[in-house]
Amino acid sequence: MIAVGALLHTKHLSRSVFEITIALVVPVVQASLAVYLFRAGTEPHRMLEAAVGAGLMGVWSSVLFGSGGAIQNQRWQGTLEMLMLAPRPAVLVILPITLATGLTGTYAVAATLLWGWLLYGIPLDFARPLAFAVAVPGCILALGMFGLLLAATFVLMRNANALTNTLEYPIWLVSGMLVPISVLPGWTGPIAAVLPTTWGARAVRQAVTGGAVWPSLGICLAVSVLCLGLGTLALTYVERRARAAATLALA
Amino acid sequence: MISALRLIGLGGAIAYRALFNWTTPAMFVGTLLAGPLFQLLFFAYLGRQLGVADDRFYIVGNAVLAASLACVFGGTMAVANERRYGTLGHVLLSPRSRTVLFLGRALPYAANGLLVAAVTLAGGALLLRLRVPLAALPGLALALAAGSLACAFFGLLLGALGLRFKDVWLVSNVAVAVLLLLTGVNVPAQTLPAGLRAIGSLLPITHAAEAARVLAAGDGLAAAMPSIGRELAVAGAYAVAAATLLRLFEVESRRRATLDTL
Amino acid sequence: MTGTAIEADDLRRTYRTRTGWLRPRRTEIPAVRGVSFTVRRGELFGLLGPNGAGKTTVIKMLNTLLIPTAGTARVCGFDVVAATREVRKRIGYVFGGDRGLYERLSALDNLRYFAELYGVPARQQRGRISEVLDLVGLAGRERERVEGYSRGMRQRLHIARGLLHSPQVLFLDEPSIGVDPVAARELRRTVANLAATGTTVLLTTHYMAEAEELCDRIAVIAGGRIRALGTADELKHHADGRRVLEVEAYGVPDDRLTAIRALPGVREASLETVGTGHLLRVQSDANSDLQHHVLGALSGIRLGRVSTRQPTLEDAYVAIVNS
Repeated sequence: MIAVGALLHTKHLSRSVFEITIALVVPVVQASLAVYLFRAGTEPHRMLEAAVGAGLMGVWSSVLFGSGGAIQNQRWQGTLEMLMLAPRPAVLVILPITLATGLTGTYAVAATLLWGWLLYGIPLDFARPLAFAVAVPGCILALGMFGLLLAATFVLMRNANALTNTLEYPIWLVSGMLVPISVLPGWTGPIAAVLPTTWGARAVRQAVTGGAVWPSLGICLAVSVLCLGLGTLALTYVERRARAAATLALA
Repeated sequence: MISALRLIGLGGAIAYRALFNWTTPAMFVGTLLAGPLFQLLFFAYLGRQLGVADDRFYIVGNAVLAASLACVFGGTMAVANERRYGTLGHVLLSPRSRTVLFLGRALPYAANGLLVAAVTLAGGALLLRLRVPLAALPGLALALAAGSLACAFFGLLLGALGLRFKDVWLVSNVAVAVLLLLTGVNVPAQTLPAGLRAIGSLLPITHAAEAARVLAAGDGLAAAMPSIGRELAVAGAYAVAAATLLRLFEVESRRRATLDTL
Repeated sequence: MTGTAIEADDLRRTYRTRTGWLRPRRTEIPAVRGVSFTVRRGELFGLLGPNGAGKTTVIKMLNTLLIPTAGTARVCGFDVVAATREVRKRIGYVFGGDRGLYERLSALDNLRYFAELYGVPARQQRGRISEVLDLVGLAGRERERVEGYSRGMRQRLHIARGLLHSPQVLFLDEPSIGVDPVAARELRRTVANLAATGTTVLLTTHYMAEAEELCDRIAVIAGGRIRALGTADELKHHADGRRVLEVEAYGVPDDRLTAIRALPGVREASLETVGTGHLLRVQSDANSDLQHHVLGALSGIRLGRVSTRQPTLEDAYVAIVNS
C-alpha cells in the first residue's frame, strides 16, 4: 500500500511543470556552483565528490519542500482535516508523500552527476560503484522517513513554510554534504550525529572516495527508522492537539 | 505631484501589506532573516575550506545577495498576487498612471531588502568575527540600497511576466538560483566563463556586491562609486522594462482579453 | 451637458482563440454582434440575458476593460477608447462576489487603497469612506479582515468601493447572487436610492423580480444581440395573448417534453427542477386550451398541482430569448 501511494505521489509531482523545471534547472545550477568553486579552490580533484554532494543537497531540498509543501498544500486545499479524520493511521497516508519526495530527489542526484559529466567533464569513477548504487537509494529511503517527522511537525504549525525556507542551508551545512564537518564549530557535532542526513551523506561520500560504507549506511537507516517511529507518535499526538487547538483548517 | 507621492507612499505600503506573503513574524524571521544568514554561513565555511577567497568576500557578498530573496519574490508578489485575489481588474480601472502605481509598489520591498541585507551583514560579521571599518557604513548602506532597488525592479519585471504567463513562481525560483550562481558573490567572477560573467553584469546585485566588497576593505566611497553607479543604472533599466511591459500587457489585454482581469 | 449617460452604437466584440501547440487552430468567437442602446442620465437600466449571452462582454467594453472590435461607445459623453481616463474617472464597477478584495486587509484598508487608486482627493477620503460604509451598512465592522467576511458583507463592500469616487455611472454585475433574501432586499433599496439621487445605474441580473422592481427600462440580450428593449410592461407584451399552463410533475423524460413541444398551439415548453420534482411550463396561445392534450402526453407520470395563469415578465423573457 505504501508502495502504491509513493508511486502515485511521484507521478503527481512529476506532472507539474513547476516541479519538473525546478528539478531540471536547480541541479544544473548547483552542479555548476560546485564545479566552479572546487575548480577555483585548492581541491580540484574532489569534483566528483562535489557533484555528488550537490546532488544530495538536491535530495534534501526535495524532501524538505516536498514534505512541508505537502502538508501546506493539503491545508490550502482544505483536505488536511479530511486526511486526519480518515480511518487509516495518518502515517500510512503521509509516508507515501514523503517517500515520493525522496524518489524525485533521486532524479536530483542523477541529474547533477549527468550535468557534471556532460558540461564539465567530471569523470564518474566511483571507488565502490556497487556500494554507491546501494547507498544512494538507502539514503533516499532514510530521508523519506525523516520527512515524515518533518511533516508531522508541519501539521501543527500554521506557517510551515517559514520553517522549510529556513532549514535548507542549515541541514546542508551541518550534515557535511558539501562542507566537511571538521571545519564547523565543535558544538555542531552532536547535532550532526543525530541527523540521518549526516550519515547518509557520509555513506555516499565513502562510496565515492573509498571507505567503510556499510556502517554509515547502517547508522543512517537506523536513525531514520527511529525518526519514522518518532514521526508516527508525533502524528498521533499532533493530530489530537490540532483538533483541540483547531489549527488543522487554518491556512 | 503630491498625489503621485501619496500613491507611491501610502498606496505602496498598503499594497505591500495586502500582497506580500511573508509578513507574519514567523515567516519574516524564518524566511528573510534566518534563511539568508544560514546561506551566508554555508558559503563562508565552504569558501574557507576551498580557499577560493577570504571570509570578507563571502560575508559581504552574501549579505548583499540576502536582499535578493525579499526583493525578487516580493516584487513578483506585488504584481502576480493580484491574480490570486482577483483584484487586477479593479486596479486597472483606476484612472491613474500605471507606471507610478506599479513602480511605487517596488519601494517597500526595496526597503525590506535593505533591512534584510543589513541584518545579514551584521549577523555574519558578528558570528564570523569580521571587522568592518565604521567609516565604510554610510557607503555600505548606499551600496545595499542600490542593490535592493535593482532587485525589487527585477522582481517587478518577473511579476509582470507572471501576470501574462502562468507559473510565475517557477521563474522567480529559477531567478534566485541564477542570481546565486552568476552575481559573483559565491563564485568569484573571474572564475566564471566570459559569457556567464557578461550575463552576471546585467543582473542586479553584481555591481552592488562589488562596491560593498571595496568598501568593506576600507577603500573609501570614491573607489566604490563607479560600481554603485552601474548598479543604479541596472536598477533604472529594470524599472523601465517593468513599466513598459506592464503597459504593453494592459494594452494587449484590452484588445485580446489576455489578462485575468475579471 | 448631454442628457445621455451611456451610448452604445453597434458594438461588436470577437474573441480569437488558439488551441493546440504545434499546429494552432484559430477560431473566432463572436461574443457581441452589434449591440446599440442609450441610457439616460439618472436612469436605472437593466441588462438581462442567459449565461454566455454577452452581457459581461458588453459591460467590459463600456467600462474600458475591453476594446470593441467594431462600433463605438460613449460614457458621459467621452469615447471609451479615445478618452479612457476620462471615462474611468466617472464610472464605478461592482462585480466580484467572493473575490476581488484583498483578503488580508481590513475593509477600511481596502477602501483606503482604492480611494487612492480611483482619485478621491486626499482631503475627502476619510469622510467619503465613512459615508459609503454607512450607506452599505458596514459601519462598525470595517476594521475586521475581509477574509472573515460573509458573502453578503463582501458584496456590500464591493458596492462601497464602487461608490467611493461618487461616479456618475455605476455598473452593477449580478449584485444579489449568493446573497440571502433579506440582505438582497436591502441591496435593492440601496440601488434604488442611488438612482433616485441622480446616479445612472446599469444592472445585470438573472432575477426577474429584481429587474421588474428596480429597472426603468430593460434590454434582453441573447446570442450577442439585443432581442428586446423597453419597460417591464412593454416587454410583457411579448408574451401577450398567451396563457401559461403550469404542471407539477415527478420525472418528465426528454421524449415527453419533445412530444409536448410538438403539440399544435404550443409556443414554449420548459422544465424546471423544483425540489424533488419538475415544474413544467407550457406557453400557448390564449384561445387554445391545451390542458387536455398536455396531461395526455404526461400519462403514467405522477402529477401534482395543475394551474393556468397570465404570463409574467419571466415568461416574456423566456419567449424573447427562445425566439
